[in-house]
Amino acid sequence: MLPVEHLPLDHVLQTVSVLESVVLRSFGPEGGQVLFTRDTGQAMLSRSGTRILTALRLEHPLARMVVECVLKHSTVTGDGSKTFIILLSSLLQIIHTMTCKELNVSHNYNSREAAKASTARHFAEKMLAFALEELDDLIASGVIPYGYHLSWEDFTAKTHLPAHPNNHFVQKLLASFFHSRLGRTHCDFISDLTCELLTCWKFKAQPPSSSLQFLNDNLAALHTPVSGFPISCSRLIDGQVIHRDFATPCPRTEHQPVKAVVFTEYLQPKLLSAGQVLELGCGEQGWRDNSRKKRSIVQFSAWSEKSLECVIANLQSLGVSVLLSAVKQSAAVLALAAQAEMCVVECVSEDELSLFAQLSGATPVSDCWVIELEHVATLTFCRPILLGAHRYVHVGFHDSEDRVTVKPCSLVICGSGEGQTDQYTCAFRDAIRMLLSTWEPMGMTATPASKRTLQSNNSTSLHMDNQITNAPPSQQCVLESGCVIPAGGTFEFLLNHALLQHGSSRSVSDYTIMSAPAVSQLLAKALLSVPRQIYSHSPLGFLQAQTRLLTFIKNHSHRFNQVYKQEHNTIIIQGRGGRECPLEEAKLTKHCCGEADASSNFFMSDSGLESVSCKYQLLLAVLQCLSCVLHVDTVLHTHTALPQSRRLANLSWEGTEDETED
Amino acid sequence: MSRLVKKTPSLCTDLPLDNSDICNKLHLLRQLLRSCFGPTARLKQVHNNIGGHVVTTSTSSVLLPAISSSQPFINLIKTSILNHVSRFSDCGLFAAILCLSLIEQAKQSGLRGNVAIGMNKHLLGLCTNYLQREDCGCKVKLDFCSSQNLITLARSVISSKPACVLTEPEALHISKLAVQAFLLTVPCNSQGIVSLGKIVTVSVEGHAVLNSAVFPGLLVDMHDVFCLNKVDHLHSSPLLSMVLFSVSLAGDLSELGDGVIEVHPGVDIDSQILDQLLELGKQVVRDEVKLFVCQQVIHPVLQQYLRSHGIIVIERLGITLMEPLTQLTGAQPVATMHTTIPAKAYGKVRDLSIRQFGSKTMLHLHPPVESAICSMILCHRNETMLSELKVVCQKTEHVLRLTLREPSALLGGGCSEAHLAAYVRHKSMNEITEAVPALGCSQTEYLLGVEGFCRSLESVAAALEHDGGNALMDLTHAHYWTHRPDVMTENMEESLGFCGCGLVESSPNQKWTYLNTKYPEFSPAALSRDVAVQPHVLDSFTAKLNALQVAVETANLALEVRYLIQDLN
Repeated sequence: MLPVEHLPLDHVLQTVSVLESVVLRSFGPEGGQVLFTRDTGQAMLSRSGTRILTALRLEHPLARMVVECVLKHSTVTGDGSKTFIILLSSLLQIIHTMTCKELNVSHNYNSREAAKASTARHFAEKMLAFALEELDDLIASGVIPYGYHLSWEDFTAKTHLPAHPNNHFVQKLLASFFHSRLGRTHCDFISDLTCELLTCWKFKAQPPSSSLQFLNDNLAALHTPVSGFPISCSRLIDGQVIHRDFATPCPRTEHQPVKAVVFTEYLQPKLLSAGQVLELGCGEQGWRDNSRKKRSIVQFSAWSEKSLECVIANLQSLGVSVLLSAVKQSAAVLALAAQAEMCVVECVSEDELSLFAQLSGATPVSDCWVIELEHVATLTFCRPILLGAHRYVHVGFHDSEDRVTVKPCSLVICGSGEGQTDQYTCAFRDAIRMLLSTWEPMGMTATPASKRTLQSNNSTSLHMDNQITNAPPSQQCVLESGCVIPAGGTFEFLLNHALLQHGSSRSVSDYTIMSAPAVSQLLAKALLSVPRQIYSHSPLGFLQAQTRLLTFIKNHSHRFNQVYKQEHNTIIIQGRGGRECPLEEAKLTKHCCGEADASSNFFMSDSGLESVSCKYQLLLAVLQCLSCVLHVDTVLHTHTALPQSRRLANLSWEGTEDETED
Repeated sequence: MSRLVKKTPSLCTDLPLDNSDICNKLHLLRQLLRSCFGPTARLKQVHNNIGGHVVTTSTSSVLLPAISSSQPFINLIKTSILNHVSRFSDCGLFAAILCLSLIEQAKQSGLRGNVAIGMNKHLLGLCTNYLQREDCGCKVKLDFCSSQNLITLARSVISSKPACVLTEPEALHISKLAVQAFLLTVPCNSQGIVSLGKIVTVSVEGHAVLNSAVFPGLLVDMHDVFCLNKVDHLHSSPLLSMVLFSVSLAGDLSELGDGVIEVHPGVDIDSQILDQLLELGKQVVRDEVKLFVCQQVIHPVLQQYLRSHGIIVIERLGITLMEPLTQLTGAQPVATMHTTIPAKAYGKVRDLSIRQFGSKTMLHLHPPVESAICSMILCHRNETMLSELKVVCQKTEHVLRLTLREPSALLGGGCSEAHLAAYVRHKSMNEITEAVPALGCSQTEYLLGVEGFCRSLESVAAALEHDGGNALMDLTHAHYWTHRPDVMTENMEESLGFCGCGLVESSPNQKWTYLNTKYPEFSPAALSRDVAVQPHVLDSFTAKLNALQVAVETANLALEVRYLIQDLN
C-alpha cells in the first residue's frame, strides 16, 4: 500500500504561506537581499525570487509544483516571481475564508472537507475563466488610460535630446526593475548602463523587439564579468570581447585593418582518423584503404606538416593576421602561425564565434583547403585587453551598411565577487526579457505590415519623436506594446477599482456566491495584498496611497475618458496609418495632472514605472497555477527503483494530478 | 548519467544580522584580522589537520583562504576581499577590517538597514571625491625622476609583512631590489602601446637576505654540469645564435589521431624517428647554433650529438619561461620536425655565463639588445620566511606597477584614515541641510550614520597599534600618532616624536585627541609641501581607493541580507 497524503486546503495554504514568508524578506522597497550558499559552498546573494525559491530545495511536492510554475512564468517575462507568490497566497487565503463561510454545519468531517475542496476548485475555475475572458478588457479600460506608452525613440533619444521629457520612461522602467532586483543603491547606475547598451544596439531598419531579441540571445557572449572591482567600474566597451587569450605572442604592430579568419576544425590534418588503419613497413608501406605506395611513419608526419604549411601560406597570401579557432590547435600550427606573424586564439566558444560571424559578416571556414575572401573578416583592431585577472582578445568592427546606427559594444560587469557579478548579469538578462515582453505582449504576434508602414512614415513624418512602433490598435487594443504604469501598487489599485466597479455594475441581476461579480470582487481583494506588502513598513502609507489614487480617479475619470475617446477618434481618423500617438496621450495625462491638486502628484512621483503586460501575464499565470494547485487532492509517495529512462521522465514532471517522488 | 540523489532541504535563517551567533563570528573575525594589521602585527601560524606545512603569515592573501567557515556571511566577505587582493595585491586587511567595522557600527547604531546603506554610500562618495581631488591633504604625487618615493612605497609594503622577518637594512635592500627590478621591466624606447616586461623570480634557501640580487636577462636552471667548461669559450663571439623548440624532441609522435597502426615485423619506428631528429640536429649544427633550448624533453642521443658539436643544450624549460625567453632572444618557437628551420626563427643571445647560488647552478642569458626581462634572486634563511618574502615581492612589484597608471600615493601609517575621517566629519556637517532630504532620512539618523562611518575609518587606523599604546590624532592636520604607555614623560609632545607617516613632528602648540572619542569637528589642514621632509610610509593610492570602495560595498551587501538559505547537499 502506498503512503497516501491527502491535501486539504489548509495544507495548501500553509505551504504557500511559508513560501511567501521567505519571499517577503526581499520584496518591496524595504526588502533586502537573501544570502545563500550553493551546494558547492559558494556564497551567493540575490533578490531574485526565482533564485531564492530554487535555492530552497523544497521537498514538498506541492511547493515544488508552485516553484515550477513561478520559474516558467519568470523565464518568459523575467519579472514578477515574488509578486506571484504573494498573489497566490492571498488568493488561497481568500478562497479559504470563503469556503469556511460557505459550509453548512450539518456535514460530517469528511464530507465537509470534500465540500470545501470542491468549492475551492470551483472558485479557482471561475476566476481563471473570468480572467481569460474579461481581464484584458478591464485592464484596457481601467488601467491603461492612466499609464504611459514607451516609444522606441525613448531608448535612443536620451543621448540626442536630453531635454525631452519622455526620454526617462524606459530609464524609469528599468530603474524600478533594478530597484526590486538589486536594491536602491545601484539601480540608477545600472539602468543608465542598460539604456546606453540599448542605444548602441539599436538596429535601424528593424522593430525594437528584434534588437531586444538579439540582446537576449547574445547576452552571454556580450558581457564579461569582472570580480574584485566596485560595481561603478562597470562600463561599455566598443567591439566584441572574445573570452580567450592569444595562444601565440600577441600582435605587436598596429596594422590597419586587421584581417581575421574563423576556423571550426583542426588546421593540421590528423594523420589517422578513427577507423583507419596505418600499416608501416620499412619504407614501402601505405594506407590500406587506398593502396598507395608504402611509406615510413616519418613521411606521413612530414606530409601532415607540409599540408599545414600550404594552408598557412594560403592565409598569408590573403593577408590574414588573426586566426580564431573553435578547437585547440596543435603546437605546429601555433609555431608556424607565429613564424608567419599571425596570432592564434584557440577554444573560442561557439556563441562568441557565431556573434563574431554575425558582426563581421564573414563565414567560418569549415574546410581549410578552401579559404576564400568571403571567409576573411576585416577588423579595425585586434588587441589584448586585461579585464580583472584575465587577458582577453578585443576586436573592433568596421561599420557596415546594414547597421549604420548599431555600434557593436560589449558590457563589462564589475562586482566585488563572483556572486555579485552573477547577480548583476541575471538582472541584466531579466531586464531585457522584461522589456521584450513589454514590447511584445502575450498573444500579439509581430505584424510586419505595420512595421513597413512605420518605416515609410519615418521618412516623411514631421513628428519623428512622437512616433511609436506599434501594432495596429484594431486587432488587440488591450495590450498595446510598451504600455507602462507608475510603480508602487498603482496597477493593483486601479485594477482593484475597475474590478469592483465591474462587479457592482452587474450585481443587480444575479448575486450568487459563484457569480462573476463575486469572483471579480475576490480577485480585487486579493490584488490589494501586493500594495499592502509594498507599504508594509508603514500601513498608513498604504491607505494614503489608495485614497490619493481613488480621489484622483474620481476627479479625473471624466476627463480621462474624454482623453481616451479622443484618442480612439484619432485612431479611427488616421486608421490607415495603422498607428496611434500614445505619447500625445501621455502628454495629455500629464497635462491633467498639472491642473489637478497636489494629490495627483501620484502620477508624477518618481516612484518608477512597471510594465502592464508583464502584470497581466502574471495575473493569468497565478490564476492558472491556483486552479492547478487546487485540483490536486492526494500525493502518492512511491518507492520504486526506477529504470533510468523513467527516472528522467520523472525529473521533468509537470503539474499533474498525482505527483510521484522517489 | 550520474546517480539521482535526493536533495535535502536547505537550512534557513531569518534576519541573520540579528542572530547573536553570527554577530559573534563576525566580531571574532575582525579581532583576528585586526591583530594581523601593520608592521607590528602578530603572526598567525596556519597548519592543516594532516600534517602539512606550517605557514607563518600575516598576509591577507595567505591568511584568508586558510580561514574556512560554514557561515556564508564570512565566506561572502572573504571572497570579496580576496578578489580585491588578487587585482590590487595590497590593502586586503584594510578592506576587511573596514568592512567588518562598518557592519558592526551599523548594528550598534540601530539604524534601519536601508538608511545605513544609503549613508555609507553617500559618505563613500565624499571620500572618493576628496581622494581624487588635486588638493587632497593625504595624497602625494609620485615623482619618477627620483627613486626615493618608489623605494618608500616598496618598503611600506615589505615592512608591513612582519612574517618575512627582515631587519631594517634587509628590508631596505629588498625594497631597493624591487624598485630596481620594476624599473628594468619598463621598456625604454618603445612607441605605441607599452607592454611591461617580466620579473622571473628564483628563490634560494639558506642564504643571507643581503645576497639577494637582480640581474638583467634570464637565469635558467642547468640540469647537468657537463658543459660548464664549454661556456668559457663562448665569451669571445659577438652574438650567439640559439633555437627554441616548443614540442617534445624525445621521439614521440603526438599528432597521430585515433586510428590504428599496424607495424610490419622488422620495422623499427623509433630509429626512423631518431634519424629524423638527428637530421634536425645536423641543420642546427650547420646553422652554427650555440644554444639549443627545448620546452620539453630531448632525446638523449640528440643531446649527445649536439653536445659533441659544442652546443649547450637546455631541456625541460617549462611553459612559464617560454614567453620571457622569446622576448629576450627574439627567437620564435619551432614545433615542426620535417621542415627546415627558417632563419628568422633563430634567436640571439649576447653572452652566456654561469652563476652559482648555493646549490643552484644557473645559466645567465644576457639580452642581445636592451630588454624588459630581468631575474630576481631572493635569498632567505628558511623556507617559511622565503615563501612569505616571495609573496611580498610579487605584491610589491604589482603595487609599483599600479603607480604607472596613477602616479600618486597616500600617506601611510594610519594618517590617511585619520585624515579622511576628520574630513568626512567636517564635510558632512557642512552639508547636513542639503544631504538629509536627499537621502530621505532624519537628521538624527544622518548624524548616527556619519559617526559610524568615521569611527570605522578611525578604528582601522587604531588597528595598527598592537602593544597597548594609545591611538591619537592631532587637531590641526588630523594625522595619526601613537603614544606608548611605557614611556612616561612630562610633555606629551616629547614622547610622540613623529606622526604615523613621518611628515609631522610634534610641537608644543599642537593638540591631540584620542581616536574614537568625541572631538569638535574641524577642517584638517593640508601640509605645506616641504621638499626636504619626505614621508616615511606610503600606501598605494589605486589599491587603497579600490579597497575603500570594495569594503563599503561589501558591508552594504551584508547589511542588506535579510534571509539566509544554506544548501546542505
